Amino acid sequence: MIGSGVSAMTANQTESATQQIKQFALDAGADVVGIADPRAWDEHAPEGHRPYDILPGAQSVVVVGSRGPTAGAWRSPKHRVMEVNGYDFRNDAASHRVADMIESQFDHHAIQSPALPTGGHLPPISMMLAAVLAGLGTRSLAANIILNPKYGLLYYSACITTLECDHDGMLEQDVCPHHMCVESFRRFGKTPCMAACPSDEGGCLDGSIDEEGRIETSYYDRERCVSRAMNFGINSFQKALAQIVAEEDEERQHSMIHSDFFSRSCSAITHYKESVAQCFECMRVCPIGRAERKLQ
Amino acid sequence: MTAQKNIDFASAKSELVAIAGKSGALVSGVAAADAFGDVPEGYRPDDILPHAKSVFVIGGAQPRAGDWQSPNYQHMEVTTTSDRMQTLALKMAHIIEDRFSYYAVCVPPGVDRGQQPFMSISMAADLAGCGSRSLAGPVLHPEYGFMYYGAVITTMPLPGDKPFDPPACPAPECVEMYAAQGTTPCLATCPAKAGGCLGGRIEDGRFADRQYDAERCATRVQNYWVPGFQHVLGATLREPDADKQKMMLFSSMFSRTLWSMTYSNVSQGQCAECMRVCPVGREHRTKK
Repeated sequence: MIGSGVSAMTANQTESATQQIKQFALDAGADVVGIADPRAWDEHAPEGHRPYDILPGAQSVVVVGSRGPTAGAWRSPKHRVMEVNGYDFRNDAASHRVADMIESQFDHHAIQSPALPTGGHLPPISMMLAAVLAGLGTRSLAANIILNPKYGLLYYSACITTLECDHDGMLEQDVCPHHMCVESFRRFGKTPCMAACPSDEGGCLDGSIDEEGRIETSYYDRERCVSRAMNFGINSFQKALAQIVAEEDEERQHSMIHSDFFSRSCSAITHYKESVAQCFECMRVCPIGRAERKLQ
Repeated sequence: MTAQKNIDFASAKSELVAIAGKSGALVSGVAAADAFGDVPEGYRPDDILPHAKSVFVIGGAQPRAGDWQSPNYQHMEVTTTSDRMQTLALKMAHIIEDRFSYYAVCVPPGVDRGQQPFMSISMAADLAGCGSRSLAGPVLHPEYGFMYYGAVITTMPLPGDKPFDPPACPAPECVEMYAAQGTTPCLATCPAKAGGCLGGRIEDGRFADRQYDAERCATRVQNYWVPGFQHVLGATLREPDADKQKMMLFSSMFSRTLWSMTYSNVSQGQCAECMRVCPVGREHRTKK
């Protein structure tokens, strides 16, 4: 029986297991990996949304992050390339492999943390919070996206396990705002992301930076962002379907069903590598991770 | 991974080919980005990635010999493996960027506006010497026959490969059959003149006047997935009888269409008959 009768590991064994798991995750396709203490959720997440609510006895949460679009995709003048090609699920695959490895090698329970919405738009466990608590990044002014100090935007998955590992702490220094953005805010009253999508001009973002160069306030119009960033996918499918069902004219209904818009919405909800987001403009101008996106 | 300096591009290509092979590609090759000159503007490699120099093509993940043997045709419909090449192409794009510091972007799968592909991966496979166009439609590799392809556009100037000469299609058996009977196995199995999708001639050992009725083929090949869903949705909405409409909503057709649209491993193509009879790559479809 997995996890039963297993004696507690020594500090050296825990350290060794932690290093093995981290290296395994990187070899499995993750660009970054960190391990969070499940008890760290108590302060931030309501009951029912903590790791041990999903896996009783959880002792560690192994969080992996991977880059989505390649640097080449960021340079493409065809915006549809990023829409269709942004995401390759490497983080999901890596977290599954980590879970397999922990169960087979360390004889402890391990599961992939559920991250898709199950009630309203809420996931059972927030991957954003997991990434922050595992020390992989901090929240940003740009739509609260968690930015990693090296790569900027990453996609995160996690594996919850009953195996006790050494835990990483949260980052001591905020990744956002970048010093260049602090300077920009002081001179122009906006950071690059706010300037790309200003809420006072029909965009989604606003905020302020305090004297110490930290985020003072942040505003993100999620509803507006969704209506723009998710033009294709489940949301657009539902919207288009409602219009199609309500259309009384048979010929017009036929045209709507076979339109490019509906076809692309259908395509986007299939497992067809279509990204669930179609706007990356706040990230495109973000200086964090830019060095990683600059090649030959 | 640490980016290399002073790159030997021939060695780099060999390294990429080896990684692709180890990761599941049966074939790989390189097409020069400027070889797409005849393609309309907007659909060339450098329309997707400015300053593109090469297109790295991988191929593989074709149905296994056992798949072709199954008497249950629905087996092939629900066990597609085409996605493996797309996943590998994305991996290769990251490897090119991480290891060699050149931009790389995976050619998106599927279609863009107006059901047009972003860039023809078939053409890239042809130019990269990974296969050649056939009378039946798919690109065929001379040894392995039908397979799935993925392509990565990159600013890295990799040494290019050349198209196969002679091409994989028509196979010598098909040339002989055409001389004797005026048709080939694929033309005979789906003749345009008798309600099928394929037509064409063979002249001097090469195919000519190829006819492929893409619209007709799509209505037969893509019975499920997005086109099937659109079709059945329209029919269901037009049904005035509430009981019948409910039956249509819960019908096998509607359910299978939804299965095929979700991540259920259902192939986007449900007809492989022109490939079933193709002699190219047959020895790899023949086991004990």
